[in-house]
Amino acid sequence: MKSEFAFIALPISALIAPSAFAVQYLTVDQAQRAIFPRKSFTAAPVNLTSVQRKAIERASGVRVLRDEQQVWRVSGGGWFIVDEVVGKHEFITYAVGLNADGSVKQIEVMDYRETYGGEIRNEKWRAQFVGKTSKSPLKLDSDIKNISGATLSCRHVTDGVKRLLAFYEVALKR
Amino acid sequence: MLCITAMEFRLAFAAAFLFCVSNAHAHEAIFGWTYTTDLTPKGHGEFEQWVTARWEKEHGNYSVVDFREEFEYGVADNFQLALYLNHHYVYANDDVPAEDPAHPGNRLPGTYQTGGEDVHAGYSPVTPFDSYHFESVSLEAIYRLLSPYKDPIGLALYFEPSIGDQERELEWKVILQKNWLEDRLVWALNINYELEFEKAGGGGYERDGMFEWFTGVSYRFIRNWSAGLEFWNHHEFADATVHEHSAYFLGPTIHYGGERWWATLGFLHQLPIGQAFSHDNKEFAVHDGYIFGDEHEKYYVRLRVGFNF
Repeated sequence: MKSEFAFIALPISALIAPSAFAVQYLTVDQAQRAIFPRKSFTAAPVNLTSVQRKAIERASGVRVLRDEQQVWRVSGGGWFIVDEVVGKHEFITYAVGLNADGSVKQIEVMDYRETYGGEIRNEKWRAQFVGKTSKSPLKLDSDIKNISGATLSCRHVTDGVKRLLAFYEVALKR
Repeated sequence: MLCITAMEFRLAFAAAFLFCVSNAHAHEAIFGWTYTTDLTPKGHGEFEQWVTARWEKEHGNYSVVDFREEFEYGVADNFQLALYLNHHYVYANDDVPAEDPAHPGNRLPGTYQTGGEDVHAGYSPVTPFDSYHFESVSLEAIYRLLSPYKDPIGLALYFEPSIGDQERELEWKVILQKNWLEDRLVWALNINYELEFEKAGGGGYERDGMFEWFTGVSYRFIRNWSAGLEFWNHHEFADATVHEHSAYFLGPTIHYGGERWWATLGFLHQLPIGQAFSHDNKEFAVHDGYIFGDEHEKYYVRLRVGFNF
């Protein structure tokens, strides 16, 4: 039996090899410049009350995982929000820029560490969110296309944007 | 059985392994035994190494290490094909109850001999047995009808024919999956039916049927790591018609999933609530609520490591 354990040794040796590596594609500053070039930003973090959290969950149908939301007010109107959603293995960090009327100006993926679905960083996939409002369906395979092998990531980013649009209505809109 | 030298296997395995590592990403099975509806995406492949150790019968020594190398390919977004190589090492000594020559079909109390499923027919029952065998090649096809990420529940159908020099098998599964808590909590259920055709004396085949179900629940408790529990219930049917026994297993599973590779370690302990129905199984297989015989052991540990390319 001894010699047969060589079969086990090879895969086990891989377990101790370097594994997943975090890739940060954009810093907050870079995401801000990508979505709102030549604008200035004022930090305006929001800490949701339980009433606000419930209102967002009711309006979006998406659970709010954190009460603290990183928000910046954009000079000349608009909002810049950094958010996280659950990925297959790790959190996916992304940024959403909202126009002054609350519609999506642009989204940017800041961190993505999953095996498949790197295409969610592609401009074509992200462009599907442009102009979406809290009234939009934001549903996978309906107004947002899925990416093969990354359905979980696509759905969670889509749900995340839907939640942030409800967040805008509840916490930012005046 | 077809015996292949350890060196030949080692070389083939190492070559396949190194090829896959150099092209690695990651995709995973979060349970040791229970399948989920997650498939390899279209145009992608996966290499997976399975190692399962199972041991302890009613008496003496019995241990098997099953090896399986799996090459998996995503043919379409909802359809995956895989090829398995199945081989194992077995050691047995004084592990099965001896039959009473004066009363065939009944055990001779307090007397044991070397035997069991993987011990060669005709081997001397009074000496220890150990051997390494290449067992069979399997083809696996899984078609997903519903995705747990888009539909209320995930549903997939599975079919696996296997062919070996001593045995042929056909296996069907219905796979269900339901996710909660942003897909971090996963429940899966597999309903299986398997037909085995084992070579018997005289050149014919002996038919056996198996109905079994596996279920598991797993929670991703921190980034990259999930832990859960699995349950397995196995029913054996002689000639695919005579219900012989029902055996139950329960145990924990832990899973790591990274960007380039994943690993799952599962443990199952047979529960002492098994039931024997046929005379043969009542006489030879059941012991203190455990089902042994040719089919089961008390402890199972499985390691699965996957690399995607």
